[in-house]
Amino acid sequence: MPGLRLLGSELGVLFRRRRTWAMLLALAAIPVLIAVAVRLSSAVPPGRGPAFLDRISQNGLFAGVTAMLVAVPLFLPLTIGVVAGDTVAGEAGLGTLRYLLAAPAGRGRLLVVKFAGAVVFAVAAPFTVALVGAGIGAALFPVGPVTLLSGDSIGAAEALARLLLIAAYLAVSLVGLSAIGLFMSTLTDVPVGAMAATVVFAVVSQVADALPQLEWLHPWLFTHRWLDFADLLRQPIVWDSFAANALLQGGYLAVFGALAYARFTTKDVLS
Amino acid sequence: MTRTWLRWLPAATVPAVIAAGVLAGSLPASAGDPLPAKSPEQVLELIAQHRDPSFSGTLEQTSNLGLPDLPKTGPGSASGDTAWLELLTGPHTARVYRDGADNARVQVLDRLAERDVIRHGDQLWFYNSKDNTAAHAVLPAGGHHPSGQDSVPTPDRLAAKLLAALDRSSNVSVGTDVEVAGRAAYQLVLTPRSSATLLASISISVDGQSGMPLGVEVKARGQSDPAFSVAFTKLSLRAPDAAIFQFSPPPGATVKELPVPDHKATGAKEKRGAAAKAKVKVSGTGWESVVELPAGSLAKAAPAKGAPEQQGGPGSAASLLAQATVPVPGGRLLSTALVNVLILDDGRIFAGSVPLERLQAAAAAR
Amino acid sequence: MTALPPSAELPSAELSIETRGLSKRFGRQMAVDGVDLAVPRGSVFGFLGPNGSGKTTTIRIMLGLAAASSGSVRVLGEEMPRQLRTVLPRVGALVEGPAFYPFLSGAANLLRFDAADPEAPAGTRRARVRTALERVGLAHAADKKVRAYSLGMKQRLGIANALLAPRELLVLDEPTNGLDPQGTREVRHLVRSLAADGATVFVSSHLLAEVEQICTHAAIMSAGRLVAQGPLAELRQAGQSRVRLLTPDAGAAARVMAGLGLTPDGGGISNGGSAGTWGEVLYAPLPAGSAAGAPSPEELVAALVAADVRVRGFAVEQGSLEDRFVELTGEGFDVAQ
Repeated sequence: MPGLRLLGSELGVLFRRRRTWAMLLALAAIPVLIAVAVRLSSAVPPGRGPAFLDRISQNGLFAGVTAMLVAVPLFLPLTIGVVAGDTVAGEAGLGTLRYLLAAPAGRGRLLVVKFAGAVVFAVAAPFTVALVGAGIGAALFPVGPVTLLSGDSIGAAEALARLLLIAAYLAVSLVGLSAIGLFMSTLTDVPVGAMAATVVFAVVSQVADALPQLEWLHPWLFTHRWLDFADLLRQPIVWDSFAANALLQGGYLAVFGALAYARFTTKDVLS
Repeated sequence: MTRTWLRWLPAATVPAVIAAGVLAGSLPASAGDPLPAKSPEQVLELIAQHRDPSFSGTLEQTSNLGLPDLPKTGPGSASGDTAWLELLTGPHTARVYRDGADNARVQVLDRLAERDVIRHGDQLWFYNSKDNTAAHAVLPAGGHHPSGQDSVPTPDRLAAKLLAALDRSSNVSVGTDVEVAGRAAYQLVLTPRSSATLLASISISVDGQSGMPLGVEVKARGQSDPAFSVAFTKLSLRAPDAAIFQFSPPPGATVKELPVPDHKATGAKEKRGAAAKAKVKVSGTGWESVVELPAGSLAKAAPAKGAPEQQGGPGSAASLLAQATVPVPGGRLLSTALVNVLILDDGRIFAGSVPLERLQAAAAAR
Repeated sequence: MTALPPSAELPSAELSIETRGLSKRFGRQMAVDGVDLAVPRGSVFGFLGPNGSGKTTTIRIMLGLAAASSGSVRVLGEEMPRQLRTVLPRVGALVEGPAFYPFLSGAANLLRFDAADPEAPAGTRRARVRTALERVGLAHAADKKVRAYSLGMKQRLGIANALLAPRELLVLDEPTNGLDPQGTREVRHLVRSLAADGATVFVSSHLLAEVEQICTHAAIMSAGRLVAQGPLAELRQAGQSRVRLLTPDAGAAARVMAGLGLTPDGGGISNGGSAGTWGEVLYAPLPAGSAAGAPSPEELVAALVAADVRVRGFAVEQGSLEDRFVELTGEGFDVAQ
């Protein structure tokens, strides 16, 4: 499959970049920082700081959940913005885009492969936070039954599964932003511009989501359900938000994917 | 160029398809099997024959009372004494499980938090994930006991109350059938005969098969959106998994034992209630009723429920009350879409689903 | 000057590249304006023009990177960009300088570009990359990061990328850019060997000497327009010839020449001492072909001798491609680059 080979090559390029690893390391630093801070400080009173912070000292697995909660508003969108904004504009900036197209990679195929690469990163990023969080939490704190939001307790193994489920939820959450970044990336030959525009998109969407005056808009914002991953910490799990979020992200993927396709397949590559 | 045009076609089509899909989804779905026509009496009968069922479902509650939104995050969010107020503002989602009369669980799904009420036989548990506190009570056997649906009124409870209040003042009719939680339902509409009330109508949707009330919608005059509505968005009439009603407080939680309401206490409470009742005066009838509370009731008006007291602070009930009211001649007015509350400077309180003038007239009449 | 028609009207099947009325507009500026290129199969075709004359834009349109505003392109007999997928695997290209991922090694870069070609067999990929690197003399630097490459090495790597698979057409935009004289010679040699294998090589350059040395055909672009194209020999011939006269009687000679309708250039004395000994050098352009009333060189000599001009040296000089270029584009040639 030539498409798969190109995807393999794409992932090779993505993960042989020092920048990619620097971003994953920065994300991994979040749970480490949180866990170490909690370890060094006295008991955290409930209701202070980010949700679940007070639970970490009782159960290390919560370091992963808290870190994901902290990473959702800015750090995750930031890294996704860099990767997704770089997809096409980065190749254009290097000049390699013209050689890929002359190979010929095929514009539609290249766009799909580029998007797939961004999605792989969008999966890798939250899983990095979750797994590093679980690891550092287990190293510094006891691990045992985990109390869910409903007050029920589940075993450590199931808790780890829930943690990974939350990471999967966040990966799905970032699909819409990746599609936006892909489209932004087709608009310019300056990767930094596309990255900044993508991150700004995420921030503006979250600000709009916080304004009650724009309540009619809220269900349409791609950031609207980002924090609903907490529904995976209820007993039994509320799957509605997972499905609604997937539908929302799918809608953004369809709209911005179509825009990116239209723009990229009709654009003159002059870089 | 035609080819260029073709490539932009999906970008133009996709939003159109999504818009069409959303429009189609928001249109009131016509019930597949139209229900046999029923008179209001027959619908009321259908409700009356409905017995405590086993079900699990999801409730959506929306309020549009004109109260200020309470802060949902940050310091002072939904502390113990404002939690009850918080339920009145903004939308809420709750999952309700019920198995017979003795097993019930309500989960109020807050953002990144949850409030649970679990009843399993005579065991009653409250749990709040925000501060990891639990409260426990043992219900006296056979006595009157609060059922598990105190936090969020379920439709059948609410409908029963409303129907009990029905009298000649209302026009009861059966509206067009609606679909609630995917089920065809009758819509019982109560319209006040009086025009001197804030309420425009109350509609109760009743499951066409079981007679179970599925939703309640209260509309205020001059508002197109319902001022208050609660309805199932999902409902399954099968008995839920028994494990759902099993609850033991999580390790690390603060557990508070609530006093068992024994007969002495109940008696005392009834006495207190009777004393209070003696002071509460009602003028007017039906929709126009005005309730008068004597001076000094306000301090007792904020109930504290199973949570540590937090007085003062920006989120406390008192300060919220000050924020929500506006000064009027002779006192302050708490105005919502459904109820007006006049708090006189002398401490007396007049409340009712009536315009301010009515409350003032009632106050002047004393 | 007007564009010359192609010297011989070849059928389309004989052409590797054929454009008709090709135009590209950027805003209000015509970057390419009505270009009719005809590149014969098997030729080494020099695409000449000053910087900014529309060469690279034409190449971009040929490779489907940019869309033409109007006109059509056929590459290897197929319409572009419609048949892009079948055409481009048979075309190797170096467009507007090499471009690579600086954080990957030379070999990894080539593997990446080869993976982008759906027709390239994956099984032979590594071997083909190694061969291409050897062919441009980069085998020793295959595992070095491109970040550490010199400009010349990047240029070689760019050419290696064009040679990853057997190609019917090679489009090389400024292939000797950044190369030292040795590298330039190697590229020349490479181009000849590619042509010997039967490939068409389309070399764009602003370096005349390069084109003159390796090309069989050439085309000249100026300000977006194609001003001349054809076999190199014909292009040279189409240039003006001139007579060179060495005589001590410069004044009399100029009068005789003017009488015959020529315009001698008396200022062309530059030979210092030797000119002083033997006389002065006069140049006069000869009208192209046998224009009516123009003297042939032998008639000119006879007339000069008859006028007692001491003719010590006389020559007819063939116009160089450089003269032709300057004449057509109205611009000086940046030979030194």
